[in-house]
Amino acid sequence: MIFLAIRYLFSKKRQSLFTLLGIFLGAASFVIISGFFSGFKHFFIDNLVNNSAHIFIQAKQDFLQSHSLDSAFFGSEIQHTFWKSGPAGEKDYNRIENPQGWYQRLEADNRVEAYSPQLVVPALFSKGGTPISAGFTGCLPEKQSLVNTVAANMVEGKFSDIGSGGNRIIVGQELLNRLGAKIFQNVMVSVGDGKQTPFQIVGTFDSGNKRSDLQAYGLLADVQRANHSLNRINEIDVRLFDYEQSATIATTWSLISSETIESWDQRNSSIFTMFALQAMMRNLIVFVVMLVAGFGIYNVLMMTVTQKMKDIAILQTMGYESWEIRVLFLYQGFILGLVGAILGLIAGYLICKYIQTLPFGGRADSTRPAGHLTIVITAGVYLQACLLSILSALIASFLPARSAAKFTPIEIIRGGAA
Amino acid sequence: MSILCSKVGKKIGDPITQILTDITFEVPDGQFLSLTGRSGSGKSTLLYLLSGLDSVSTGTVVVENSDLSKMKRKEIAHFRNEKIGFVFQFNYLIAELSVLENVLLPAKKYKQEKTRLELAKSILEKVGLKEKLKRLPRQLSGGEEQRVAIARALIMEPKYLFADEPTGALDTVNGEVVMKMLKEAHEDKKTTVILVTHELDYARRAQREITLADGKVVSDSILSSQTK
Repeated sequence: MIFLAIRYLFSKKRQSLFTLLGIFLGAASFVIISGFFSGFKHFFIDNLVNNSAHIFIQAKQDFLQSHSLDSAFFGSEIQHTFWKSGPAGEKDYNRIENPQGWYQRLEADNRVEAYSPQLVVPALFSKGGTPISAGFTGCLPEKQSLVNTVAANMVEGKFSDIGSGGNRIIVGQELLNRLGAKIFQNVMVSVGDGKQTPFQIVGTFDSGNKRSDLQAYGLLADVQRANHSLNRINEIDVRLFDYEQSATIATTWSLISSETIESWDQRNSSIFTMFALQAMMRNLIVFVVMLVAGFGIYNVLMMTVTQKMKDIAILQTMGYESWEIRVLFLYQGFILGLVGAILGLIAGYLICKYIQTLPFGGRADSTRPAGHLTIVITAGVYLQACLLSILSALIASFLPARSAAKFTPIEIIRGGAA
Repeated sequence: MSILCSKVGKKIGDPITQILTDITFEVPDGQFLSLTGRSGSGKSTLLYLLSGLDSVSTGTVVVENSDLSKMKRKEIAHFRNEKIGFVFQFNYLIAELSVLENVLLPAKKYKQEKTRLELAKSILEKVGLKEKLKRLPRQLSGGEEQRVAIARALIMEPKYLFADEPTGALDTVNGEVVMKMLKEAHEDKKTTVILVTHELDYARRAQREITLADGKVVSDSILSSQTK
């Protein structure tokens, strides 16, 4: 019956073309939107995964309770202490309790590519003017450069320049701009007890993310000294060979330690909610387009059924059965769905290829060259778009097909269809 | 015997109207039978019952020892395709198919279009449409269209040919051509032909004539000594 279905479609070219256009738009928009959203997600994850560590082991945040200091102040002889205003707030001695134990565990774990112990403290940076609040990370440069891309993002100087000690720091471009400082100038850094310590800027980095660039790196020992917390670390950043295992490994480690352990995706869980929202939006758009296209197919086929009553009757007198009549109309929907899908996929692919050539990102001051939009083109998306188009076309043609098959030849002949 | 019609009655519509009452007769193999009567006498309805296009309200129609009312859908479909040819007053050609494709349409049902291609061409040649095989129905005259419809009815070499007023919409010349085709089908292939017509001249060319009035058989006469 497929030959007859094709002839029917060709006999009403304009309606078929408009119906085809609906399916075409649905399939093409599915491919483009999917490619765009997936590309965005891919780009984002790629940046997250490549620019930062995969697992963050942090000292557990501990807060003072109202009776936490009772024994320290009054010993064990006082049974009941009543405070007018009890102690509160975060304990200031947050630290990784057993860093050596962690180092041994991480060294022995063959899933771990690298790790970097850190002391991360809030600090005030000043160069004569208003102090700027920024993060200050003490690290071992040779280890730090293995867990994130700060060393690769150096604009001036080398990240390893802080390794020789002597209060040298590398600052982010944003912090440098806000301070109004230049390389090799000194800035005053205030951490912990508020006492200012001079540090010399020996390099700058630019990650492209202003928030990330509002921080400074120094040698671990220098930061510990400035913070009066010798030998203390409060974070270990870990890089894995397979970043997709991050969440599983982080959860496992959480069960056997008192530290707060998060993977890169757990830390950014809200972003994944946004991705899910994007997928919903895409599905909604495609659903609406397909619904409109489906109504088009339904209308065209219903009209065909009405116009082709005598054909249905004569086919039945020749021995064609009800299911064959049904198939005749389902074929028409199927052909519209298939052809619309194929054309839509081709157009979607070409448009995606074009979008990939469009410049994206970069900076107006040309300090960072423009890249291109990331569009992910996977076979799965094409398969989904194709199946979705065909399925919606088949669903839309189901009712007309059923309606055509329910007539008996005698009803049509008696009805006087001529 | 070929077709046995026994105490057949047919009611249709709401309110119910009795179209046929207590019709009984036999049609032997290879007979050319005409059913005549005034408009509304029930002759077309009887034709549809005999061909299995419609079902009886009472009585039975037995074709080759099979009760049509007890046949399954698939059997009926097969029966229509292999044993029956239909010709209607209106040709019911499929507008999107060429002359040859229309004729071969019944053969497509069981993928016999290739084996029946030569037969289709020879039938069309016989009825003067050899040069118009690829034409669409709209490019033919009314008489030519009806000739295509008869060729289509004959393509499966049916044992029974049912014709419902096939000349009703044609002029005399084309009517004669159609009658000639029916006669040839009957004579060449020994096809049982049942012709519904209200034109007495055509009815008298059959071997037997059954006349209906108000849904009942009022006369059943043998017109030719060849038929038993």
